Amino acid sequence: MNIELTTQQKALQMEVREYMKTVMTPELLEEMKIDDLKEGGGPEFRKQYARMGADGWIGLSWSKELGGREMSHVEQYIFTDEVVRSGFAYPFLTTEAVTPVIAANANAEVREEVVGGVKQGKVTIAIGYSEPNAGTDLASLTTRAERDGDHWIINGQKMWTSLGNFADYVWLAARTDPDASKKHKGLTMFLVPTNIKGFSCNPVHTLGVRTNATFYSDIRLPDKYRVGEVNAGWKLITGQLNIERLSLFTHGQVDSLYQGVCEWAAETPAPGGGKIIELPWVQHNLAKVKTGLEVVKLICWKQAWTMDQGPLNMADASVAKVYSSEFFVELYRMLLEVMGQAGTIATHSPGAVLKGKLEFRWRVGAVLTFGGGANEVQRDIIAMAGLWMPRTR
Amino acid sequence: MDFTISEELKSAQQLAQQILGDFTSVDQLKVIEKQAERMDTALWRALAEAGLLGLDIPEGNGGIGLGFYSLTMLCEEVGRTVASVPVIPVLVSAAGTLRRFGSDAQKDHWLSAIASGATLVTAALEEYNNDDPSMPGSSAQKMDGGYSISGTKICVSQAQSAARILVSARAGDDLVVALVDPRAAGVTLNAQLVTTGETRHELVMNKVQVPTADIIVTGREATEAMEWALQATRTALSAMAVGVCDKMMRITGSYTSEREQFGRALATFQAVSHRVADCYKDVECLRLVTQQAASLLDQGRPADEAVLMAKIWCGDVTHRVSQASQHCHGGTGVDRDYVLFRYCELARQIELTAGSSARLMGELGQDICAEYLAKAG
Repeated sequence: MNIELTTQQKALQMEVREYMKTVMTPELLEEMKIDDLKEGGGPEFRKQYARMGADGWIGLSWSKELGGREMSHVEQYIFTDEVVRSGFAYPFLTTEAVTPVIAANANAEVREEVVGGVKQGKVTIAIGYSEPNAGTDLASLTTRAERDGDHWIINGQKMWTSLGNFADYVWLAARTDPDASKKHKGLTMFLVPTNIKGFSCNPVHTLGVRTNATFYSDIRLPDKYRVGEVNAGWKLITGQLNIERLSLFTHGQVDSLYQGVCEWAAETPAPGGGKIIELPWVQHNLAKVKTGLEVVKLICWKQAWTMDQGPLNMADASVAKVYSSEFFVELYRMLLEVMGQAGTIATHSPGAVLKGKLEFRWRVGAVLTFGGGANEVQRDIIAMAGLWMPRTR
Repeated sequence: MDFTISEELKSAQQLAQQILGDFTSVDQLKVIEKQAERMDTALWRALAEAGLLGLDIPEGNGGIGLGFYSLTMLCEEVGRTVASVPVIPVLVSAAGTLRRFGSDAQKDHWLSAIASGATLVTAALEEYNNDDPSMPGSSAQKMDGGYSISGTKICVSQAQSAARILVSARAGDDLVVALVDPRAAGVTLNAQLVTTGETRHELVMNKVQVPTADIIVTGREATEAMEWALQATRTALSAMAVGVCDKMMRITGSYTSEREQFGRALATFQAVSHRVADCYKDVECLRLVTQQAASLLDQGRPADEAVLMAKIWCGDVTHRVSQASQHCHGGTGVDRDYVLFRYCELARQIELTAGSSARLMGELGQDICAEYLAKAG
């Protein structure tokens, strides 16, 4: 039992941290001031993403055959943690969740086209799971794919297709058997090139960032873009969820926010003399944040370490999701409380504290407790898989 | 980074589980609970025979020397079975301090006797409104052949049966850590009934003469000794809380899965199962911070903040899991013929021992303030 990073792991952490400073160029920071380009997609983003590919930073966890470095999950987490900390809109779902599934299941030609492109930092993939009437109950989705010779005719609508406005493909879940005995058994996965006829995309502006509604109207998709067996899509969706979650909640970025607020409070005069940080209630909030953050770090490390030993226990994966998402929301509030009114001043407005990062994180944070699997579903899983309690109804 | 628990430690844990399981049926617990100063001497003997009292005592002193981490695992198992054995005051606070800060003669004299179960040495770290033994209100005066100690310590476990009680006292600017004989002249023991239902004692010392042989350490080293004792005690309490809370949560999971109302198991209501799921989450969080603190102490690495955070989580989680367990049981949970009340009482006792969450949160906040003010220059 030794819960600290090894010398090598610390070296990797510093290497990524330094490298990412070179990725976050002034041009990129300028580009990210534009709302629609906060999550990537602009020319400078593309340039830096491609540079990361050329420098060998994409696909660290992939197998050697795919050109990866077969890094352990712990190393992969260290990489992810630092990339998130840097603020770069790295497309983790593309590189960590979807591409390995495509590599294992797609036809050779498509694998070459997509996996090779991702590796070079030239391809991004949006996720096409949710629909207007299929959110938490994802298996009830209704986007249809019907066979027509060696093509599929696809019709339907997806919702919350983040990156859909600039991604090269949508990783699409569609219903191929409307009469399946159980609804999750009739789903098949496809890769839809976004330049194909019949695809369209409308912006959806949220409390936080831009996302999209995507439309699929009589798309004729060659069968080579089907991934995996027909009607066997569900396990391709669920198989990657744990890996996906490992990049959803990381410690470094929120730890930077905590440190930033501590520094601000230590420099900022309090009205009655002394500094803000000397006020008891400020100390109380900062101590609560630190105490909760420590567990975020330990949960992330433990999950990554466990995945290197074997499969992750379902209950523990759900604990990580519930704890982190609910704590992040609390953390944003407790740090904003310390700033008071100044915490409401938006990025780029004069007087914004920490460049308004916390004001923005709060906006984005609203999705955490339901995104990536609603916390109610996670709690059901904890009760069943962790404590052998019966299914709720 | 490595969360692996060695095979050696796992074997010790399994042995502890087996022995503790043999001695903690409800009937056995009830017999021990009738005692005034609670102590399952037969169980203590069995643990001694298995070598488990000497987990953190060096082989040269009659122990098996597996280290501090293994001792926290024993504390967790004791919590899981609510056994009446003073593992924390005797093995962590007293023996742990003796082995690290005592003289060779003191170690030779006391440690093997503790490991064999022949002798109890307990510790009295707390005073009224003061849980920090490195800043005691008790005073010590140097005199020929030792110190004269006066002051009051509270809620002392095994005060009557122990051969010695480890205390700290202030001698001017200096700190003294000493072993006080509860039978010495000037010592008064006043019974104190505490939340777990056991009788502990207020230890009143009025110019108690402590011979040099029983002075463990003085000066700067004495402060280090008491800082270590406090950190080790808080970590061990957190480990015991992991056992207590893990068990309470499992009892509640089973109970609500079987108990039917409105024609269905209570656990099939999300409002109920989610409350238990939150306990699971809480226990996992507590386990991680506790493991971190215990492994740092085990390696002799700085653990100040890790221990503070562990005990804060300990106080919060014992409270939350205990209340949720009681609530989900309805009336059954409060019935003394059912097992749960013992866990709830022990949870509250642990929560308020060696610093509550609110008090430690205040301390951590002050530490953060000092750290960042220093950085800001």
